[in-house]
Amino acid sequence: MAMDMELEMVLRPPQLPMPPYPPKMVTLANGKVMVIRQAVREDVPAILKSVHPCLFIERDYYDVVSARVYGELLAWYRYRVKSEYCLLGQVDGYLVGLVNGRLENEKVGMSYHTLAIDRGLRIGSHLFAAKMEYHMEYLNQDQVLVVAESPIGFRRWMVEYPLIETRIPHELGGGDSWVLTRETYFNAKPRLVVGDRPVPQELMDEAMLDIKFADDDTIRERIAGLKGR
Amino acid sequence: MNKEIAITAYKCKKCGKIHYPFHDRCLECKGREFEKMHPEGDATLLAYTVIFNLPWGFDQRFLILGVAEFENHVKAMGQIKADSVDQLKTGMKVKPSWEPIKKQYGEDVYGLKFEPME
Amino acid sequence: MRDVAIIGAGMIPFGRRDEDTLMEMLAYASLKALDDAGLGDKTVDAVYVANMGGGMLQHQSAIASSLVDRLSLLPAAAETIENGPASGASAIKNGLLAVASGYYDYVLVVGGEKMREVTGWRATDFVATMTHPQAEYPYGITLPGMAGMFTRLYMEKHGVTREQLLAVSLKNQEMGTLNPYAHVEMALDRGGIFDSPHSVVNNPVSADPLHLYDLCPVSDGAAAIVICPLEMAKKHNKTPIHIAGFGQATDTQTLQEREDPTDLKAVSLAAQKAFEMAKLKPSDIHVAELHDAFTILEIAESEHVGFFKKGEGGKAAAAGKTRLGGQIPINVSGGLKARGHPVGATGVAQMVDIVWQLRHELPKNRQVKNAQNGLTVNFGGFGNNVLAFVLKRVE
Ligand SMILES: CC(C)(COP(=O)(O)OP(=O)(O)OC[C@H]1O[C@@H](n2cnc3c(N)ncnc32)[C@H](O)[C@@H]1OP(=O)(O)O)[C@@H](O)C(=O)NCCC(=O)NCCS
Ligand SMILES: [Zn+2]
Repeated sequence: MAMDMELEMVLRPPQLPMPPYPPKMVTLANGKVMVIRQAVREDVPAILKSVHPCLFIERDYYDVVSARVYGELLAWYRYRVKSEYCLLGQVDGYLVGLVNGRLENEKVGMSYHTLAIDRGLRIGSHLFAAKMEYHMEYLNQDQVLVVAESPIGFRRWMVEYPLIETRIPHELGGGDSWVLTRETYFNAKPRLVVGDRPVPQELMDEAMLDIKFADDDTIRERIAGLKGR
Repeated sequence: MNKEIAITAYKCKKCGKIHYPFHDRCLECKGREFEKMHPEGDATLLAYTVIFNLPWGFDQRFLILGVAEFENHVKAMGQIKADSVDQLKTGMKVKPSWEPIKKQYGEDVYGLKFEPME
Repeated sequence: MRDVAIIGAGMIPFGRRDEDTLMEMLAYASLKALDDAGLGDKTVDAVYVANMGGGMLQHQSAIASSLVDRLSLLPAAAETIENGPASGASAIKNGLLAVASGYYDYVLVVGGEKMREVTGWRATDFVATMTHPQAEYPYGITLPGMAGMFTRLYMEKHGVTREQLLAVSLKNQEMGTLNPYAHVEMALDRGGIFDSPHSVVNNPVSADPLHLYDLCPVSDGAAAIVICPLEMAKKHNKTPIHIAGFGQATDTQTLQEREDPTDLKAVSLAAQKAFEMAKLKPSDIHVAELHDAFTILEIAESEHVGFFKKGEGGKAAAAGKTRLGGQIPINVSGGLKARGHPVGATGVAQMVDIVWQLRHELPKNRQVKNAQNGLTVNFGGFGNNVLAFVLKRVE
């Protein structure tokens, strides 16, 4: 398809420069090591393959969350957002979860979604924490606006940090935002933000090589736990 | 303003055993007559915990709870006013008070609270 | 009194079963047990249904009447038994007495619960309704909270350590990976939940000093058995399992009114009665299912039923004496920790697991070799209503 590059340059917002998120590794409850690293634009097609089977899982609003993540990542891939980032969680190279968000402005972050593609391992907690760590410690922001789209999210973010209720509308268009301040973040950090750096080269290589993803049925079973028995 | 601790304990008229909560018959001797009594003085912490998975109706992140024994030997459960269980140990003195413990239909529900004295 | 035996046992996988209603789960487990007993189209004389939360969680009452209708067991007698988390064992006891008395011959006992219909907050609140309505419940106390207080006292009095509790969760979740009926099928790693600094997130405090992996999950599930007089059991297709003894005892509702809150009197009494009736001792038991809603309970119960002296249970668990192949294998099924704890189903599920053990029907990696006698303990409230059963294989 021929593209009118002149028009495209009008539609394509300039990408805001963002300092990188330095990768870290986390030991999970089952002893496996999860590498958390920032996705690059070229990773998007592979990520979407893992997100796809989640589109059809109603449980815990996986369908809503993954459909939105799908759209957000695609928009980033096709240059329709100016300040989006995505952090990935990988175990043995396999994608087990992701978080994304963007900068509202230099000082305010906009948290988008947390999608755990494996359950019962606190992957969501670790990834959400990494996202907050990115906003506070690497992007040096003052606050992050957050909403939850499922009861589990509400319990994890709003109650555990705890976030502060505001009247500020959130970009996702649902309930009003809850805010994470620097003070809340640094108070919560010892109990919620963990990980070791640097990640050894071989682990990094494995994560970067090719994003592996389980087949659709496995992903669906992991999330929905539908044993069919 | 300090509210009076609105707990009634029951002392068996026959054998003297103190009950809280109420039982229709004495747990010791089956006696049915009790003298009403109120918790008195400070209390000693007998057991405690902090819970992070709260039931419906509680919005806070965690709740510290414990059982304490008053000077006149009434034992009762209450919420503990502390920031962390690290400030607590069994056997320590706690100051009882009667304060809101939760909200129900927008109204305060009152109950026992204990504050560490050491 | 007539001797009574189990001739059929069935269970459906525990977990989060969004697609099934409570009635469906009860029906599936019942049919499995009826078929296992080889009853074919024959009906049973009575049905006892164990369920704790149908009224509160599903807004449904008279569950047993609905179940017999659904299963075409009419005009069998039917009733629902609610006895908190000990509902399962209570229903079995009632069925057992009915058959032992000579009044009924064939009885179906089924336990089921659907707890995941509501959010975690609601489920926690539902379970907390067992506590004293004035002296405990309003404060926000939960069952894990009661267990937390109990654990600290037990640690102080009997020297139980967090590492010993850990041994129980590691063992039970490991066994859960071998059990296709288990809710949690994930082995835990000591590093990930204890040694590593990352464990603060992986295994956070839930009810101090208990951490997340010291607790059972909140589950949906159902299990069922069919019982009849031992005499008649011999003509059915499965090796009969004789319910050789049972005991039940109660204790004060609040922990503070117990002389020694670390003494689970109801557990000791229930087990003693069961052993006496069966004319067996704790050392005659080859496999046990204890009510490990919290890891501390497996240790405390292993002492209170007489497998170990007070203060020795934790050490025994850490030394591997309660593992498959050890001195007394406990919760080879994964226990409540891994199989899950749909409250009304648990007492029946424990019995089903012991039946499978005593029939020698399980795969090698979880069969206690040549097991002849088994024990179950179903613990209601915080130890204020406890039942124990001793089961014997009949050759
Ligand atoms: C500990 C507890 C609060 C955890 O709840 P949670 O953090 O909300 O857990 P989630 O619902 O997010 O569970 C996510 C996954 O984690 C795992 N998980 C949850 N609780 C677990 C536990 N206690 N042990 C092991 N794995 C667990 C499961 O795999 C679950 O997947 P599922 O949804 O397919 O079941 C909850 O399990 C609990 O309240 N347990 C105690 C129940 C109780 O008191 N029962 C009555 C005793 S008498
Ligand atoms: Zn008396």
